[in-house]
Amino acid sequence: MECQHISYQYPQQATGLVDLSGLFPEGQVTTIIGPNGAGKSTLLNVLARRLLPQQGTVLVAGKDSRALSERQFAQQVALVTQQHELFDELTVREVVATGRLPYHGLLSQVPPAEVAPYLEANGLADLADDLIQNLSGGQQQRVWLAAALAQEPRVLLLDEPTTYLDVHYQQALMAQLRDLAARGMTVIQVLHDINQAFRVSDWLWLLQDGRLVKCGTPTELRTAPLLAQTFKTAVEIVEVPKLGPYIVQLPE
Amino acid sequence: MKNNAGWWYGGVLTLLCITILVALMAGTTWISLGQLGRIVGAPASRDFTTVFSLRVPRILSSLICGGSLAVAGALFQAVFRNPIADPSILGISSAADFFKLGGAMLVPWLPGRSWVMAILGGLVALMILTNGKALSNPYRLIIVGVALDATFVGLQQLLSGGATQVSQSTFNAMTWADTTILLILGVLGLFVALILAPWANYLKLPDDALRNVGIPVSVLRWSLLLLATYLATSVTAIVGVIPFVGIVVPNVARRIVGHDYQTLLPFSMLVGAWLMLAADTLGRTVIVPSEISAATMMAVIGGPFVIILLQRGRVLHGMSTH
Repeated sequence: MECQHISYQYPQQATGLVDLSGLFPEGQVTTIIGPNGAGKSTLLNVLARRLLPQQGTVLVAGKDSRALSERQFAQQVALVTQQHELFDELTVREVVATGRLPYHGLLSQVPPAEVAPYLEANGLADLADDLIQNLSGGQQQRVWLAAALAQEPRVLLLDEPTTYLDVHYQQALMAQLRDLAARGMTVIQVLHDINQAFRVSDWLWLLQDGRLVKCGTPTELRTAPLLAQTFKTAVEIVEVPKLGPYIVQLPE
Repeated sequence: MKNNAGWWYGGVLTLLCITILVALMAGTTWISLGQLGRIVGAPASRDFTTVFSLRVPRILSSLICGGSLAVAGALFQAVFRNPIADPSILGISSAADFFKLGGAMLVPWLPGRSWVMAILGGLVALMILTNGKALSNPYRLIIVGVALDATFVGLQQLLSGGATQVSQSTFNAMTWADTTILLILGVLGLFVALILAPWANYLKLPDDALRNVGIPVSVLRWSLLLLATYLATSVTAIVGVIPFVGIVVPNVARRIVGHDYQTLLPFSMLVGAWLMLAADTLGRTVIVPSEISAATMMAVIGGPFVIILLQRGRVLHGMSTH
């Protein structure tokens, strides 16, 4: 996935995206970081085609994403957002089955056998007939991830995927994302936890005020002056045994 | 689909058969089962005329109207994501009734006038409901719908010199011609509804989630809205406004067979058909030789039901799960 001179302006708002260009390397975990209002979620929504940029192009597998039909796009790109509002009862199986819809006609049924592998792979087989409304936040997040993976996308987009997860599930999710990337999927996520972002990512995009400050590997971006300037706070990078470099915000 | 749904289907079908039999027998003239069997072979008899010219068309009309209104209600609820959305409460039926009357006065020469004008009225109400902020809040939708209903009822009464619409909505004197039209319109609409049932299930998800998987949300939403309007206004065109069937039946059916529209729609169709026939049969037998219209019967049943539904359930924050 690649951005070419993307600009997006919200109506009557200053914050948007300004001339963003860069690559999201294939088969790697890329995390978009930056302070509040930097445009992280806006960029993710542009990549997901939820927002159409006024200028620039998003390339998916070398093609302009706007040239793809909704169904074709859904076969290439899946998005996991934070909690969804549901309007009626839905079972876990029904939600995960929606991920297979890009491969079926609107009036045809998704065969249960086609859904089963995604339930199994995400530890949801035992919950398949439970109502998603009755699950914990962490379990619901797994259901939405399973639905996105059922799309068999080349690119997986995630908006704050750890928000409703405890530490154990956060680690499990990050391990799963790394595993997906190792199998060739391009994973792009927005994270607020900067240390987690540096720890799990192969590639980072650092945004500020809708502009790309820098993109690169964690090693390239983990510099105190760059982070201090971007986040407008004093930071220090300390070495933590068994953990490695850790970014610490210093008191004013 | 709940595990015991098959039993419920069997139960409703049995009930439907019994009610049809009672409806054939009951009326100003009571015809016993034995007599029913005998008159089939005697087409010249007075009882034969009573049964086949009066009661059979009335029964068929009740069944198709009940089924159509129940399915229309379920579809409106799916699209508006509001469990008390219903063609009568949203003003769609009364708009259809007003346009039907207006059509009789202004374009009496128009072929298929009642149906065309009723559909047109339903579409006008639908446009008003969907064009504005009514959809932003479930309460607002219902309030706008109730206001629309009151407006069109008032306009209809102005045109008809004060006669109330509900009392006129009856299956009394249904002819075979009316029944045939209703059957064609209703069966066609119900058949399409059963095919499109999965779309109603998709609309349980938010629009963004549907777009993520390449679903053209607007196409689904408008297809189901137009279908529900077609079903509801077809009933209004031939019979008139019958309130609450679309609220009572799908909400009861949800508790029995679950929330999957592929099960819910056919079950609602059967329960709606039974309820309408039962209401009509009861209405024409309790005060023989006079009768109470099916619309009045439904108003008496449906009004308290909606009050209970609103007071007991978490119904306006997504479909009730109780």
